[in-house]
Amino acid sequence: MRFLSFSWRRPLALIAVVLAAGALLQFTDTNPAVSQALTLKAYEAPEDPGLDPASDVWKGNVSSVRVPLTAQAGIYAAGGGSIPTVRVQAVHYQERLYIRAEWADGTLDEATTRVEDFSDAVALEFPAKSASSVPSICMGQADAGVNIWHWRADSQAGLKDPVAIYAGAVSDEPESKDNLFYTAREAGNPFANPDLGAVQNLVSETFGALTIASVQDVTGEGKHDGENWAVVFVRDYAGAGADQANFAAGAKTDMALAVWNGSEDDRNGRKSLSQFVTLSISDSVIPGGGGGTNMTAAWFGIALVLGLAALGVGLGVVGLRETGNAR
Amino acid sequence: MVQVHNWQLGREMEYRYDAGKPKRQFAAVFNTNRCIACQTCTMACKSTWTFSPGQELMWWNNVETKPYGGYPKHWDVKILELQEKANPGGQVWNTAAKDAKKSPYGTFEGKTVFETADGSQNQVTGYIPAEEEWKAPNFGEDTATKTSTDGAQLPEHAGWFFYLQRICNHCSYPACLAACPRNAVYKREDDGIVLIDQERCRGYRKCVEACPYKKSMYRPSTRTSEKCIGCFPRVEGTDPLTEGIPMETRCMTACIGKIRLQGLVQVDDAGLWIEDPSNPLYYLVHIAKVALPLYPQFGTQPNVYYIPPRWVPRDYLRQMFGPGVDAAIEAYTNPSRETLAVLQLFRAAQSIVFSYKIEQGPKVQELTIAGQKRELYDDVIIGYDSQGREITRVSVEEKTIDRGAQFISLNTI
Repeated sequence: MRFLSFSWRRPLALIAVVLAAGALLQFTDTNPAVSQALTLKAYEAPEDPGLDPASDVWKGNVSSVRVPLTAQAGIYAAGGGSIPTVRVQAVHYQERLYIRAEWADGTLDEATTRVEDFSDAVALEFPAKSASSVPSICMGQADAGVNIWHWRADSQAGLKDPVAIYAGAVSDEPESKDNLFYTAREAGNPFANPDLGAVQNLVSETFGALTIASVQDVTGEGKHDGENWAVVFVRDYAGAGADQANFAAGAKTDMALAVWNGSEDDRNGRKSLSQFVTLSISDSVIPGGGGGTNMTAAWFGIALVLGLAALGVGLGVVGLRETGNAR
Repeated sequence: MVQVHNWQLGREMEYRYDAGKPKRQFAAVFNTNRCIACQTCTMACKSTWTFSPGQELMWWNNVETKPYGGYPKHWDVKILELQEKANPGGQVWNTAAKDAKKSPYGTFEGKTVFETADGSQNQVTGYIPAEEEWKAPNFGEDTATKTSTDGAQLPEHAGWFFYLQRICNHCSYPACLAACPRNAVYKREDDGIVLIDQERCRGYRKCVEACPYKKSMYRPSTRTSEKCIGCFPRVEGTDPLTEGIPMETRCMTACIGKIRLQGLVQVDDAGLWIEDPSNPLYYLVHIAKVALPLYPQFGTQPNVYYIPPRWVPRDYLRQMFGPGVDAAIEAYTNPSRETLAVLQLFRAAQSIVFSYKIEQGPKVQELTIAGQKRELYDDVIIGYDSQGREITRVSVEEKTIDRGAQFISLNTI
C-alpha cells in the first residue's frame, strides 16, 4: 500500500510543477525555446513622445529592462566593458518606434578634435528585414544582415574645424568650405559630413563591412545630466530597404545594444555589448496609471512564485518522509 | 595570420593578411649625409596635400634632427621602449649567417611590432601620440649632443646630430593596414603605395596607433585618418604634368640638396626584390648595400632606404638602421666606380629612372681618402624612363666652365 501511494503521488506532483512552470512562462511571456532571457515590451504611447529623452512619457508606466553589457569578445579590436548595464525602454506611436537607452557615464565625451579624443555613443542592432536566420550579433552574416542605429555624442555636438575651436589656430584656407578641401567628404564618406545627424543608420553583413545605409531615416537625441546619458531613437515601423529593420504591432524582433565610453578610448569593437534581447511590440496602450497592470502583474507573479515555492517545500517534505519510510 | 618572409629581418614572420604582393613597389633612397634640413620637401608636400582646415598638425613629409628631434615628439624612442618592455633584452640580431637575397643583414631574433601584440586587443604594438606631441614638428632642430671645443673628426664626431627625412614608408607589411578593423587601408597592386580609403574610414585611429613610424594622422575636420599618398597621380603618370610618364613625388623632385631618389622596384610573389641590377634603387639597396631600411626591427619592411650619416656613433645608427650600417658607411665613404656613378642620378631627372647605363670615362684624379689610395674616373651615367627613353645623362666630374676674365667685374657676391 505504501509503495502504491508513493508511485501515484510523485507523478501528480511532477504534473503540478510542470503546469505551474508553464503558467509562469506563459504569464511572463517567456519563450523557453529561444536563448534570450530579456524581453522589452513596446506599448503604444498616448501621445507623441518626441525626441526628448527627458519627456514625461518615459517617466510614467513604461516598463524598462536592464540589459547587462560585457566586453567585446571579437577576433580583434576587442576591449571595452566599462559600462556594465544599460536601461532600455520602448514605446510606439502612430507606427513609429521610440526606444530610449540610459546608462551611467560620469564623463561627457562629445568632442573628437584631438587625436586622443573619442566620443560617447550608443547603438541598437536589429536583424535586417531580409535576414533569413538569426544574424550573428557580431555585425551580421551573409544571409542575415543587421541594421544598426548609431547615435554619437560628437555627431550631435557637431563637427568643427580646429580653427573654430582654437583661438590661435590659423589655416591657409579658412574660408573655403568646398568639399574638395575635405578629402573624405569629397570621396563621399557621409561620416565626414558635418551635417550628418546625431544618428547614423548603418547596415552590415560581416565584420569590417559596416556601411552607411542609403536612406537616413533614424533620428535621435541624447542628453547628459552630469552622471547619465539618455538617448532616444525614433524611426517609422517600415524600414527603407530590405537591409534594414522592420517593425509591426504585435511582432517580436531581436535587438542588441552597445555603448561606447569615449574617455575609455572606446571606438569600433572596443565597447560594452549586450546579447540579443527580444523587442516585443504590443498592440495595447501603455498599461494605466499608478503602477497599473504592471504592478498587478508583478504582484500576481510574486504570488505565483510564492505559491510554487510553497508547493515545492511541501513536496520536499513529503519526499523526505517517503524516503524515511522506505528506509 | 599568415607566414610571410621579411627579407630585412632575414626570417619568416606572422602577418594578418596574405594580400598578395604588388607587381612593383614604391621605394626611395635618402642620403642623410647631404641633407641641410631646408624643409623644401616638407613645404612641397604641405602646399600640395595638407593645407586645408583640419590638417594643421599634419606633415606627411618632415625632416627631424636626431637624436633629440622627432615628429610626433619622441615617436621612435617610445616605440623602441614599448618593444623593449615587451621583450626585454631580446631585441637582437644574429649576423653570423647571411643570404644575399633573403637575409642580407643577418637575422633579427627579437620580436616585431606584430609579434609583441597580444593579437586580441591589438594586432600591433603601438600608441596614439596625443595632440600635444604633433604640435612641434621641428622640436630639437639642430641640437647636437654636445659642443666640442676640439672640432670634429671622423669616424665618429664627439658632439653630433643629423637630419632624418621621413615620409610614409609604404611598407610591404604595413602595420596601419593590419590594424584597421574596417579594411579601409589598402596596398595598391601596381605600385605598393599604401592608402587610407577616405570613403570607408570612420576615424577609429587604429592605424595612427599601429604605424610605428607615426605616419597615419588624424584629421578632426573629417573625423578620418589621412596619410602620405606617395603622390600616386605622379607615380602612375596620370597627373597632367607627367604627360603619362611616371614621375617622382613632390618631396623628391623639390629636394634642392639632391639627397633623394625615388622609383619603383619589381617584387616577386615571395615579396623579394626581383634581380634588376640596372634599376638604381635595386643597385643601391641590394648590390652596393649603401642604403638601409629605417628601424627594420619593427617588422613592417619599410621601403624608404637611408644612406646613414658617416659621423654618427655606430651603435646609435645600428639601432636605427640595423646591422648593415658599418658596411653601408664603408660603401659610401669608399664608393665603387658604379656607386659613385649611380649617386649622380639623385635629382638628375623629374621622371622616375627605371634603368641606367654607365659609359666608362677616363681617370681624372688619384687621391688619398682616410689613408686609402683612390682613383676617380669621369664615368657618365645615363638614366632611362618607363619607356626606355633617355631622360638624363650625368658625369661623375661636375663640369666647370671658365667664364673668362671679362666677367670678373660681374662677380658681385
